[in-house]
Amino acid sequence: MSVGPDVATGDIPAPRLRRPLDATWRIVKTQPRATAGFVIVLFFVVVALTAPWLAPYGVTEKVGPVFEPPSPEHPLGLDDAGVDMLSLMMWGARVSLVVGFAAALVAMLIGGTIGLLSGYFGGRTDTVLMRMTDYFLVIPDIPLMLVAAAIWGRSLSNIVIIIGVIYWTTTARLIRSQVISLRERVYVKRAHAVGAGHGRILFRHILPQVTPLIVANTVLTVAIAIFAETAIAFLGLGDPTLTSWGKLIENAFSHNAITVDAWWAIVPPGIAVALVILGCTMVGQAIEDTLNPRLRVGHLSVRRFRLRPLQGTDQV
Amino acid sequence: MSLLEVTGLHVWFDLQQGGELHAVQGVGFDLDAGERFGLVGESGCGKTTTILALMGLLPPTASVAGTVALAGENLLERGERTVSPHRWKDVAMVFQGAMNAFNPVKRVGDQIAEPMALHEVADGAEAKRRVGELLELVGITAARADRYPHEFSGGMRQRAAIAMALACEPKVLLADEPTTALDVMVQAQILELLVTLSDDFGLALVLVTHDLPVVAQVCERAAVMYAGEIVESGPTTALFHNPRHPYTRLLFAATPDLYGDEDVASIPGAPPRLDRPIGGCPFQPRCDRAFGRCEEARPVLRSVADRHAAACHLNDLPQEVPAA
Amino acid sequence: MRGADYVLKRTVFAIITVFVALTLNFVLFRAAPGDATSSLRGCRNCTPEFRDALYAELGLDKSKLEQYWIYLQGLAQGDLGLSFVSRQPVWDELRDPILNTLPMVGLGYLFSIVFGILVGVIAAWRRGTFADWGGLLSALVFYSLPTQWLGLMLLILFSGVLPSSGISDPFIEFTDPSTWEVILDRLEHMILPSLTLGLVLYGEYALIVRSSMLETLGEDYILTARAKGLANWAIVWKHAFRNALLPIVTLVALTLGYVVAGAILVEAVFSYPGIGLVTYEAIFSRDYPVLQGAFLILTLSVVVANYIADLLYFRLDPRISA
Repeated sequence: MSVGPDVATGDIPAPRLRRPLDATWRIVKTQPRATAGFVIVLFFVVVALTAPWLAPYGVTEKVGPVFEPPSPEHPLGLDDAGVDMLSLMMWGARVSLVVGFAAALVAMLIGGTIGLLSGYFGGRTDTVLMRMTDYFLVIPDIPLMLVAAAIWGRSLSNIVIIIGVIYWTTTARLIRSQVISLRERVYVKRAHAVGAGHGRILFRHILPQVTPLIVANTVLTVAIAIFAETAIAFLGLGDPTLTSWGKLIENAFSHNAITVDAWWAIVPPGIAVALVILGCTMVGQAIEDTLNPRLRVGHLSVRRFRLRPLQGTDQV
Repeated sequence: MSLLEVTGLHVWFDLQQGGELHAVQGVGFDLDAGERFGLVGESGCGKTTTILALMGLLPPTASVAGTVALAGENLLERGERTVSPHRWKDVAMVFQGAMNAFNPVKRVGDQIAEPMALHEVADGAEAKRRVGELLELVGITAARADRYPHEFSGGMRQRAAIAMALACEPKVLLADEPTTALDVMVQAQILELLVTLSDDFGLALVLVTHDLPVVAQVCERAAVMYAGEIVESGPTTALFHNPRHPYTRLLFAATPDLYGDEDVASIPGAPPRLDRPIGGCPFQPRCDRAFGRCEEARPVLRSVADRHAAACHLNDLPQEVPAA
Repeated sequence: MRGADYVLKRTVFAIITVFVALTLNFVLFRAAPGDATSSLRGCRNCTPEFRDALYAELGLDKSKLEQYWIYLQGLAQGDLGLSFVSRQPVWDELRDPILNTLPMVGLGYLFSIVFGILVGVIAAWRRGTFADWGGLLSALVFYSLPTQWLGLMLLILFSGVLPSSGISDPFIEFTDPSTWEVILDRLEHMILPSLTLGLVLYGEYALIVRSSMLETLGEDYILTARAKGLANWAIVWKHAFRNALLPIVTLVALTLGYVVAGAILVEAVFSYPGIGLVTYEAIFSRDYPVLQGAFLILTLSVVVANYIADLLYFRLDPRISA
């Protein structure tokens, strides 16, 4: 990037413009997995945000015959009620992503709090909280979710809370072990000796250190929550007033899309769910891997060290 | 011809962000059977990389040049293929932090016997008997062979690691910081054991450590490494009483003799980065006696006395008398 | 005895977990606000007599504590109550489906464990190579697919080749089949549901096995093994795998919870008459006693699997002492 002499303003020198670009390119080059995942998730978030303006039709608008195959006019065909699939997919993104992110947030708040308190205070607090976590971990999640959804009703907020309340356990455990190792670090002990209160130490010294881990875990939980939403919706326990990707799969299945070979009603929502889960998993795992020092060394490799003739070097 | 002759050893590592790191820069030394040789320097100076290169244990990001001759045969001739037959059979190793050198889910005895069967030294009952003997040799009762690593104390694990290194009666033993993380009493015992072994079995010992006094106590000869190269080498008495490189002198001064803390506040400053060419003397920024030439030309290792070499411009100044 | 201590501890934990599950089951269905019985209270079409009779049958006229005690006593005798729909004992409704589910889930489980471990180990071993990327990608893709959707895709893909629903050919009785033919027919019906479960789990296992192996391959004793002159395959199988197996054992037991859930989705897709399909139908007909019974059995199976994993862990890791 060259800055010509006619750049009169001069207060934005070229390197400053280049730096964010360079930094971005570095991340793309060293973290292709995270970048790909991020781009995928970003795409669907944009689709979800712009659905009200970009979706060609409404979600209840009958625009043609039942299960009409894809055409230039309706690239993803029509569903069992003659509604445009593309519009349904775009509106469905909103519900699926909201459930995913909101439930992950609930899980993060519960798991993060329990993990922080358990790891920081240790002792009896730790024992009680971890026992509780252990029990939660063992109880099979999806059946519990189904039972809860069946009993408490099928509103969106219920589903978000149920999913969030069930998936905090791994977050709590991870954060706890991280906090335990942080608690022993010198600067935390020093802060304690200087007289900083528990709240200050937790929020000023420990929380910033565990934030990357919490983020990684939350992103992974988004994937799990979206997965869980499709399961709940598939079993007829989704919010009946809203269209989500899980609901679209259920709808196509229960209206015999398979028997009439209407693959266009069933393939797109599954692929969309899979892509978002894939994206979140790639981002979350890339962060986790970067944070894991144990993955940096590998003592076994199919390739070996290379030999180099000395003549090629400028050494004596 | 010496038993082990290392000449012009270079190691480079590819860096993830491109470029490479010249970790070992033309290291050379030799030693005979029964001889004890020390390799000293701060962490990151290339000591461990050097001995990993001797055994061909470097990761695939590494490239190597130079020769490592064992009884005249160049181990690096064809890389992995020429090194692997000699591993453990001729050249064995005691690793840094031997705490983790044992697999936690396998019995110690089985892990000692493993290379015996592999290199067809002994098998079955014979191997079991030898494991017992080796353990007794390093001062552990033979019955302990059936125990798991976590049932051993740190010192015992280090002894067991030495017993494992002796499994195939190697000619050369490479010991990488064999006494770090052990308390002083145990340290002394382990060092004594190494001395006895090399005396009794004619084992050539390479002792890698950051602790100069330990080397002075155990080894006849030593080399001091800095920034990937040997800056001074010679008989330990000469290094101790008449160091000819300021780094050696400062290193002796910085290390407490005994009962010292693990991380001593040593020489101020840090070693230079090895991912870019070094112009002058690599030690110049930290040196208390640097002068004009040190910034311009890199000193080469040259003989300063009988079997004593150093890489320092001070040795070229007739008026300067480098003393401890 | 260090072993006795550990076993005792895990046993106590398993027993307490069972009680937690039982209590949760009770609370969810009877004692929580808006629980299953509240819909009965609002039963407008019922005559008062019928409602009283129903209340008495369910013991709703008694205090919560008394109800809990009666519930536990009933369970101790294997009494899970009566189905709302069929008026048959719940246990009778569940027994055959459980027997149908076990081999189907077992087959999928086996498939996923074998391939998950194989691909995970190879990917870690060949870190950074084409095999690693391929294995990682396939694992990520199958991990990401919604179970029910993958089932439907397989259904479309194999329609006409493999039976797509039910557990046996309804017409097979008329052909006077041999035992072998009956078994073969059952297996044919099992393939698609098992494969669906197996593929989704395969993704998860392969991912975990790979990262667990990668962590192990960075350990010092792997370098020692290389220095000793061991060949790569020997290092992988004799040293790394045993250690990497430890977290995998726990994971395989914990994911049984997911297998159980997957069974509900898969059996719904393939109309496979197992406990999952019973659960699915009970959700639709709001048959709470059956739902409660199924939930209890699914939970108990996971608790038992975890208990077995704990004991297995003890066999595998000599470091464990209470």
